Parts: sequence; structure tokens; C-alpha cells
Amino acid sequence: MISTTTTERTTTATMNRDNAPLAGVRIADFTIHAAGPFCTHLLSQLGAQCIKIESQTRPDAFRKPHAVYGRMTAATFDQVSANKLSVRLNLKNAEAVEIAKRIVAVSDVAAESFRPGVIKRLGLGFDVLREVKEDIVMLSLSSCGQSGPDSHFAGYAPLFGAWGGLGWMTGYADGPPVEMRHVMDHSAGMHAALATIAALHQRRRTGMAQHVDLAAREVASAMIGDALAMASAGFTPQRPGNSNPSMAPHGVYPSARADRWITLAVRNDDEWQRMLQALNVQCDAPHLATTQGRIKHAHVVDELVSQWLSRHDADEIASRLQNVGVSAHVSWNMQDIADDPHLRARGTVTQVSDDDVPPRPAVGAPARFSRTDDVGIRRLTPALGQDEDYVFGELLGLSSRQRADLESREVIL
Amino acid sequence: MQAESVSSPKRGMAQLPLAGCRVIERSRSVAAAYAGRLLAAMGAEVVMLEPPEGSELRGAPPLLEDSGESALFAYLSLGKRSMVCDLEDGTARASLMQVLGNANIFIDDTPVAQRAALGLDPDSMATVFPHLVHVSVLPFGAAGDKAHWSAEEINLLHSGGEGFLLPNGLANELFPDRPPLKIYGHFGSYQGGCMAAMSALAAWWAAPAVGGQFVDVSVQDAVLAVGAFALQRLGDGSLEHRTSRRFRYGGVFKTLDGYMELLTLEDRQWRGLVQLLGSPAWALDAALSDPLERSRRGDEINGHIREWMAQHAVDDIVRRAQELGVPAAKYRTPEDVVQGDHERARGLFASAQLESGREVELLYAPFQFHCSPLKSESRVPALGEMSEEML
Repeated sequence: MISTTTTERTTTATMNRDNAPLAGVRIADFTIHAAGPFCTHLLSQLGAQCIKIESQTRPDAFRKPHAVYGRMTAATFDQVSANKLSVRLNLKNAEAVEIAKRIVAVSDVAAESFRPGVIKRLGLGFDVLREVKEDIVMLSLSSCGQSGPDSHFAGYAPLFGAWGGLGWMTGYADGPPVEMRHVMDHSAGMHAALATIAALHQRRRTGMAQHVDLAAREVASAMIGDALAMASAGFTPQRPGNSNPSMAPHGVYPSARADRWITLAVRNDDEWQRMLQALNVQCDAPHLATTQGRIKHAHVVDELVSQWLSRHDADEIASRLQNVGVSAHVSWNMQDIADDPHLRARGTVTQVSDDDVPPRPAVGAPARFSRTDDVGIRRLTPALGQDEDYVFGELLGLSSRQRADLESREVIL
Repeated sequence: MQAESVSSPKRGMAQLPLAGCRVIERSRSVAAAYAGRLLAAMGAEVVMLEPPEGSELRGAPPLLEDSGESALFAYLSLGKRSMVCDLEDGTARASLMQVLGNANIFIDDTPVAQRAALGLDPDSMATVFPHLVHVSVLPFGAAGDKAHWSAEEINLLHSGGEGFLLPNGLANELFPDRPPLKIYGHFGSYQGGCMAAMSALAAWWAAPAVGGQFVDVSVQDAVLAVGAFALQRLGDGSLEHRTSRRFRYGGVFKTLDGYMELLTLEDRQWRGLVQLLGSPAWALDAALSDPLERSRRGDEINGHIREWMAQHAVDDIVRRAQELGVPAAKYRTPEDVVQGDHERARGLFASAQLESGREVELLYAPFQFHCSPLKSESRVPALGEMSEEML
């Protein structure tokens, strides 16, 4: 099944569907770049109404080209701003800050991802927002957190992985560390979304405000929690590459087609035998009959498995191995993912389009809910300031004349 | 065991974000265990169901070389309670039903094919426990053609698209003919666990309005969600590949005594980098003030940077770079992180007692709550510590 999402760029009232888990929650969204916006994007997919606050002078990163990524023009569709409402506020102007506070006053969550200290200098720090809304849940997402000697450090996703240790632990055993890309941003954003919902539960129970402080580098560290435990106990964790100390074969192996790889993880002797049968090969070497023996001779096993699998079509052999209960999957590129019926049926991959966005795949619903099932992308990235009639007019009660005046004085910019 | 005992917040936990939240976790996978772990860190009472022989995760690598205890299990089980529950046994099963009746969230990674026989299928559970949030966490989800497929971390990371794209940058340049690489440990499973915990709390939020419900979480979906930009790129007409997926300049650099990461996205950061490098003649070329031109000449720029980096110590480079507003970081080892001044100042680690009595320090939670700090000490549960209470 292919679902199609069509944008509603001229409509604002339909953004908060009743049948989503977080229906009724509103977010004042000051986040920038990728990690923070992904957090609020997830919350909006779960039904929260998210008001994205930016300006012509400081637009969202995706409204601009980023040459260092090789993206010479602005994105036509931005995955992390989908679903959101957009308003313009020039936060360097004191009047704009006051309007931002009014948005916070009618919101449940205020989210920001500036460098520590910036939101306070803008006049929108936690203490101020708590005065505006006594039970506000504020999320501050940053590279290194709101406290500590490195809190002022500038950073992006690859730096989070480097600081947190995940980059060091990832790589070929005899090679350099490996940089983590957007998955690091988004992993931080997902953990932030989790903590934000937890704070909402706490508010529901106690009525108290909360300030959630998420350091992206600490999420990278959380991904190597076991290695940190080893280091704490006095051991030196080693970079394992694709190997696993309790499984053999375990790795990424070539297939008959160039650059088409099969991932394989054989847990025990029974699975080993089933794999041999599925591949129609014999292996009489007694030292490879047991998991312990195969781990000891992992290089031999890897060579054998590479030879066997390189005679097969990757997709066909992955299905055949799964049919006998062996964990195998093709190393998929994004075209494989876009075309996959399983992911389409689950709504994980959806099809989006708009007047200026031809039909294209996007990542949709994060999970499936049996009762509050209206989750996922409802419309695409809003145009800058598209939802001011609703936010400034309906929510805040500003008249057309007031708004025109604010625009003329570049408060709304 | 009295079911109420599961629901009573422990002393000192009443102020935590999830105080009063009762979670039962049936986990064989890292994803489900991490979901419970995150909820426990925020104050939920999490009871981990284990078979009589103990969870398989108790023996999962890496193992502390002297005691043989699993560092992974220690990390994943911190702050939980252990209840032995053999679902084939009628008495144990009745006890589980009692405990579930008083729980808010049930995290379950039982394979789909086994659920009905154990009474754990969504329909049965919804009938018996209409107010329970029942969260299924499976490699490919509980619905769809691949719901029955089996997977370990390496399969999942590649099924979600990220594995195919690794390594990029320097490692790919050095070893262009090697197979793609996984991220260390259980990165994809952690995403699945976080997605499960987040979805559980979202469903629990809706419970006053709609009651309990079944939530279907897939680790593959979660890996794809965090890698969403690659699918966005496909829509732009670009099929990403690890050989071409790199910053035009910047990335991983070898220094005199280690490795570092450098990335400048803004013009001011580029100017800071030029200053860091000592304003060499090549960098003062007026054409390089244009970001598009820098991007086109990325290889040339990286060549110059590599040459300079190789002559300087990583700590000196990073300190000076950050002073100049240049995003730069050292690739830190786990020992660096455990001993880090920044981590110590932020109280990232909790002192934890393993089952053997040994004390280690474990990362407690990757987020902080300033108005109600998370607790900082805990322990790894012994197998079946709740069994006597059960009897």
C-alpha cells in the first residue's frame, strides 16, 4: 500500500488531529539545525501541535543551501520540519521576544537547541518562561549540555560521536575511528523526545515545571554504555569492526553482484547447520563444528562464508536463510528501502507530494498505535510564516492592523 | 508477591519524572531491555521477567575478563528488579497476570509466532488488561511481511540503510575494498529501544482518554527514522553511497598523537579555521571566501589541513579551535569519557553494584531533569530477587 500525504499549506486548523497520542499538546519550537527539529518532528508526528519560530534573518538551516554537504540549493522537502506550523519573529527585537513569550504561555513545551546561554540572552531562559507559564516543560538540547567545562563547545553530529566515544569504538580494528553523521543528530533528538514526554507525565502528576537538559555527546556515550562499563572496571575496550565475540560467522559478506552485500549472524551450532543446508554446502572441518571453534577460527570462517555467499543472489539467499531461521539481511541502500513493501505497508515509508514537491518517499509513522493511530506526516515543510493567521491571529488574538504594524517595524520579519 | 508492591515508588523516587509508572519487561533483545532501562532511569518501577536460567543478556559480551559478568547486561539492567517467570508454568503465569493487572506498560519482545500460545497476543491482552499499554518491540515489527524475520544488530543496522553508508570519509579512503561496517555495539537496537520507550509514554499519555492500547515498534523502522535524511536525499535524486558520502572538506583527521573531527558549516567558522592553521597563503586565496568554491576545492583544502594536523597534538588543536569558534573534537576513547572532567562535572555516571558485589560506574541516563535530578546510585538485579516475594 502506498499512502500519499498532500500538504495543506493554506490550512492551519487541521494540524492537531484528535486521534493521535499527543493530541492537545502544543510546542513552542525554537530549535535549529537537525537534532532539536527532529525531536519536535517526532512529537508532532505523535500529534503535538508544533509552532516553529524563525525569521528571514535566521531561517531554518534547511531553507538555505549547505555547500559543505554538497547541497548547492535549499532542500525542496525537509524531513524534520514536516507537520510544523511556521511563524516569523525577529528575536533580536524585544517586542518579538514578548510575542514569543505569549506563544509559550499557550504552550505545554518550549524547545530550543541553541548553544548554552543563547536562549537566556534572548530573554527566553527557563526562569523567564516559568514566570510566563508556571508549569512549562522546557527542553534544551545542545552539544555538550547546559553545564560542565565543555558546555560552551560548538559542535555538530560528527563531533557528538567523537566526544562521546562512539566514533572511537566504530571502525575497522586496524583503521581510524569513523564519523557518525545525521543518525547522531537524530538519536539525540529521539532521546530528547522521550525525556520531554516523561516531563509531561511528571507535570500531569505534580503540576510542576521542568527543564530537560540533553547533551548530544552523552547520547553518543549512551550508545557505548557497555564499553564505558568495561573502562570503568579497568579494562581497555577494543574496536571490534564487524565481528562479534559470541557469534561466528558474523559480518557483512559479498554476494554474486558487485557492491551487493549480505549481513549474517549465526548464533549457535544449530543455526550453523541450517545455514550449511540452505547454502547447499558441506563443511566437515571438526574445528568449525562448534561456536567456540568457529570464533577461534573466525578468519577461516569468514573466508569460507564469503566464498559460499559470493555465488548467490543476495536477496534470494537472505530470504532462503530467513526461511530456516538464520538471521540474514541484504545491506540495503535507500532505493531498496523506498521500494520495500514491508516498510510501505507499515507506513514507515510514505509517499509525500505538494505543488512544488513531486511525489517522493519520506520516513513516516515512527510506530503503529492500535487506538490512537493518526500518527505520521500530515503536511510538508511550511513556508516561512505560513501559519501566522492562526498563531498570531487566532491563538494570540492579534488584529490584522497590529500584525501589519509589527511587520512594518520588522518585529515580524 | 503482592501486586501492590510493584506499584509503590521506592523511597526517594517519588519526585522522579516517572514515579508511579509501573513497567513489566519481557526482554530477550537489547532493544526491549534498553526501553525498560530508559524508563527505569527516569523513575519507573521496572520489573524484568527472566526465565529460570536467567536472561540470555546476562551472558552477552562484552564480559568483564576477571569475573565473567556481562558489562552489557549490567548497563541494560541497572535499576530494574528481576522476577523469574517461566510462562510454561501455570503458577508463575498466574503471578504474571496479577502483576500485569497492576502495571501501566508492558514491554514485550516475544516473537509473534509464540504470543498466542502464551496469552500474550495483542487481542488477548487487550481483553484481559484494557488499561495496559502493550508495547511490542521486534526486529521488523509485529505486522508486515517480515514480522517473523529474525535479526541481530548487524542485520538491523543494514536493513535500515545506515550500515550500507559506513564507513565514509577517511576509513573508506584507506580501505575502499572492504565490506561496509557496522556501528559499534547495539546502536540500531538502542534506537529501537528509545523509540519503544517514547511510544510507550505517548500511549500512556493518551490512556485517560482512550485506555490502553497495543503499540507496534520495529527496530528497523527506528534505524530508518534516525537515518531519514538519506531517504530525503533519494527524493532529491541522490542515492547516497559510503564512497561519496563525505563532507567536501573536514571530517576525520590524524594528528600527531590521535584523531580528531573537524566540521565548519558557517563562514565565520571557516575564518576561524584559517586562523587556527596560521593563515597560510593557500587559505587566503580570495576565491575561498566563497563557500561554494571551498566546496568545489574540498580535496585540495583537506590535503592542506591533513598536512598541518599531522604536525600538532590533538588536545592543543581542539582547545585552540574551540577558542576560535571552530567546531572540532577529539576522538575520545572510553577511558577518556569515563575519566572526563566534563562528564564528572555533569554526574553522568552512577556507582553501581554488580551481582558479584563489585562496584563499577555506569552511565546513568543521557538526559538530565534540572527540577528533579535523577538519582545517582543503583545496582544490577540478582536473578529472581523478587521470587521470595512472589511466594
